[in-house]
Amino acid sequence: MSLGVLEEETFCHCCHQLLQQSEQLRDGWTWESVQGSQEGYLRKTVLRSAVINSHPVWNQEESSSDSKTHTSCHSWPDQQGQEKEQCVVDEDDGVCVVPEGNSQVLQYEYHILYSSSYSTPVLYFRASTLEGRSLSLEEVWSSVHPNFKTRLLNNPLSTITQQEHPLLGQPFFMLHPCRTHEFMRPVLQSAQDQRGQVNYMLTWLSVVGPLVGLEVPLNYNFKLQNAIQYYTLTSPQT
Amino acid sequence: MADDKDVLRDVWFGRIPTCFTLNPDEVTEREAEPYYLLLPRVSYLTLVTDKVKKHFLKVMKAEDVEEMWFEYEGTPLKWHYPIGVLFDFHASNTVLPWNITVHFKNFPDRDLLHCPSTSVVEAHFMSSIKEADALKHKSQVVNDMQKKDHKQLWMGLQNDKFDQFWAINRKLMEYSTEEGGFRYIPFRIYQTMSDRPFFQKLFRPVSPEGNTHTLGDLLNEVFPAAVPNEGVATANLPF
Repeated sequence: MSLGVLEEETFCHCCHQLLQQSEQLRDGWTWESVQGSQEGYLRKTVLRSAVINSHPVWNQEESSSDSKTHTSCHSWPDQQGQEKEQCVVDEDDGVCVVPEGNSQVLQYEYHILYSSSYSTPVLYFRASTLEGRSLSLEEVWSSVHPNFKTRLLNNPLSTITQQEHPLLGQPFFMLHPCRTHEFMRPVLQSAQDQRGQVNYMLTWLSVVGPLVGLEVPLNYNFKLQNAIQYYTLTSPQT
Repeated sequence: MADDKDVLRDVWFGRIPTCFTLNPDEVTEREAEPYYLLLPRVSYLTLVTDKVKKHFLKVMKAEDVEEMWFEYEGTPLKWHYPIGVLFDFHASNTVLPWNITVHFKNFPDRDLLHCPSTSVVEAHFMSSIKEADALKHKSQVVNDMQKKDHKQLWMGLQNDKFDQFWAINRKLMEYSTEEGGFRYIPFRIYQTMSDRPFFQKLFRPVSPEGNTHTLGDLLNEVFPAAVPNEGVATANLPF
């Protein structure tokens, strides 16, 4: 297996491990299986505050880059499977940064699916206002992390587009997977050089998630290092 | 691929006679006549319906016009599927012309992708090409192409230029003889009786024993319900 490639079996194993940790951390991830098949996807919903604008992102005056969406949200499912939310202060500096400007609370729904074509995980998501209005692609572009906007500005339609959810058939936004190997290879290489073990999904998610508002708590890595059941890329355990 | 040229031409020039009718609930200033068009099977609805839009806008006020979308017998038509797939999927038993209803309001957000411009169709098309090449050649062919080659491929489709399109697509369809085929065959099996839009799995063109796989082999492995008799695919597949 070449480094950076994720087999479907490994994907499932990494998801399983991530779910176990999510349960301990009350991070809200669940596994949704497709009726009559073994396939499925990871799902999480989050309420987050974001500044959105329906005009193309590259026409906007860039405001201070750290003024946008630093409020991290933790969530966990209640009995109905819906999620309760609790905004917490930023773990790094203990300060709750309130976004400036016309920020509003949005409901984000994130799905992680396996792409057999690219041998990678793919992040799908949709977002709506609390009144239930779906966000347009332009609004989603305007709400991405400031660090990601340069890439968007260069080539918006090959970065995030609206796509059909391959298992649900509904419109979702998708982060394009075609460059995943490029950025995962060095990350996995250095992780392997240092420790020899890495959870592909967790590493991948901590790279792509924050671009679209999906924070991965640092506790995951702590838990991983202390987990009894280490996972190595070369010997998947089932 | 040279041997297949006649087949390629026939596929490319496949047309579906279609009658576009304005949804009766739309507000018009006078009666809207239906509009007839021969739709290319290999293209996309939103790419070939500029004339349909223009035709109906003549009888409508600008304030009554939102994003155009299409429906057949109550089902919103997914513009991101090729036209031929849509027709075979929803209307293969219908009497021609294919009657499509045109809407300019109440866009079904939960069912359809938005298509505000041709560049969205282009992005979708190129994304499909890239995914197919990831399966066929580990993305090597599409990544080795220059930007202008991608553009030529797209312009060939957009302007219905067979030679322009195939001059580039030829490279995407090549494989070395010792390999005997693509790494995997890009395919999707669409099904009507399910929320799940399609099936897609890894499938090699040649078996480990060196036998060339047939369509029946593929169906047997991926979608056995479509093959009533073992190993024999019938003409009455449920998709």
